[in-house]
Amino acid sequence: MIEVVNLRKSYRRRNVLNGVSFTAEKGQITCLIGINGAGKSTVLRAIMGLTQVNSGTVHIDGRPMSRELYEKVSFIPDRLTMPLGMKMEEAMQFMADFYRSWNPARAKELIQFFQLNGNEKIGHLSKGTAAKFNLAIGLAQDSEYVLMDEPFSGIDMFSREQIADVFSSDLLDGRGVLLTTHEIAEMEHLIDKAVIMNNGTISREFDCEQIRSDEGKSIVDVMREVYLA
Amino acid sequence: MSHYLKLVHMEIHRFRYPLAAMMGLTLVWQMVTLIIHVNGKLDRAADALIHNLLVNGAALERFSFADMIPGMLYSLPILACIAALSVYVFLIWYRDWYGRVSFIYRLLMLPASRKHVYLAKLTAIVLLVLGMLSFQLLLLPVEQWVFKLIVPAEHFEASTFGDVVSANLVLDVLLPRNFDRFALSYLLGIAAVIVIFTAILLERSYRLAGILYAVGYASICTFVFLYTMYLMWTGSYLYPEEIIAIEFAIGILITAVSIWLGFRLLKKKITV
Repeated sequence: MIEVVNLRKSYRRRNVLNGVSFTAEKGQITCLIGINGAGKSTVLRAIMGLTQVNSGTVHIDGRPMSRELYEKVSFIPDRLTMPLGMKMEEAMQFMADFYRSWNPARAKELIQFFQLNGNEKIGHLSKGTAAKFNLAIGLAQDSEYVLMDEPFSGIDMFSREQIADVFSSDLLDGRGVLLTTHEIAEMEHLIDKAVIMNNGTISREFDCEQIRSDEGKSIVDVMREVYLA
Repeated sequence: MSHYLKLVHMEIHRFRYPLAAMMGLTLVWQMVTLIIHVNGKLDRAADALIHNLLVNGAALERFSFADMIPGMLYSLPILACIAALSVYVFLIWYRDWYGRVSFIYRLLMLPASRKHVYLAKLTAIVLLVLGMLSFQLLLLPVEQWVFKLIVPAEHFEASTFGDVVSANLVLDVLLPRNFDRFALSYLLGIAAVIVIFTAILLERSYRLAGILYAVGYASICTFVFLYTMYLMWTGSYLYPEEIIAIEFAIGILITAVSIWLGFRLLKKKITV
């Protein structure tokens, strides 16, 4: 389980995170929802130790984040994380060189799934292809948790469909997924748990199936309650 | 292979094209400069020969390779390479943050100590400098061979490697023939790179305020080093060897503090 407790971070005298606490379970898709500037990406970066927080703790299966846990948790940011001069194959070799959890068979499967050409240079990729490659890099690790920051951001409809297919495929089976997205309507039926952020705090945290059956509300309905109240 | 060595390999590999371009530029520029210079010299020698024979029957003018390279034109690619590598000390960090790609995300998420990222970048800079230096050292005998090929035997005068290096001011500075001076110069250079790395990490950790911290830190390190040197050379009764030993100790202290601070910033404060 990813356990985030009371994260606080200020930047330029603004409280970006103001006591953020929530959990994301293994085997579930947890979606961090919020309008632009709510602090979603900052939370993901804080979990991965890529930005420093003023206070608060992050535990992965009861252990504080450490370099060994980068084998266990993979992060797929909203931008490319491999040098433009590398070919996709070279980037995957780089991953294989550094991560024990790298699974070459799964990497090959993902390359085929997304119909990527390993000989292509990363610098020549279109935005959609780059997003797919980013996803392939993150998912090819045998990690127990996958964090994704806006996997659908700014890409065409067909690429979005392909990426959405990942969530219903066996590529994520048994893993804990924590993602941020604006495309709630497209993802709603796949999400197990929603965490709604507003002004650097958690406004609501709920089980999507339960709120559908108990209150007959969709995630978007709850979002309306939070943001338009 | 350890993570550190893999990272060093990756850093060098990323700079392979600029490195090849710098080597190519140095090779072509120095060869062309040498050939133009030698041809000019031979033309002037031929004119002088005709004149001297007619006037007083004087002997042929002889010249060596060392006579051909003192000019600034010959040193220009070396200076350009020094400038490029100096800029690269900054770029080696900043290119991982800026642009279409944020490679720093990946570097900081490697299941390895972040110290390796720092040390790999430092090692890459040192290896690139030494690589360019070695290339220049290899180039000198090749140029000397070309010189021998194009200069007629009656004009040719041999020169030693020492003559060649001391003939050019830039080469003389870059290749001190005394090992102590060589070690001291290059160790000071490495210390300067380490101080700059720490200043960059201060800026990357604290952003706007970090610019002030970075400038302040680099200025304090430079001031401490230069001012103590000034005080000792101008107003102390110490022997030169003692002054050099004290300077060496101050340099090591500044380097150690910078490395410690750099590692700490990478581990605790860095922000992507």
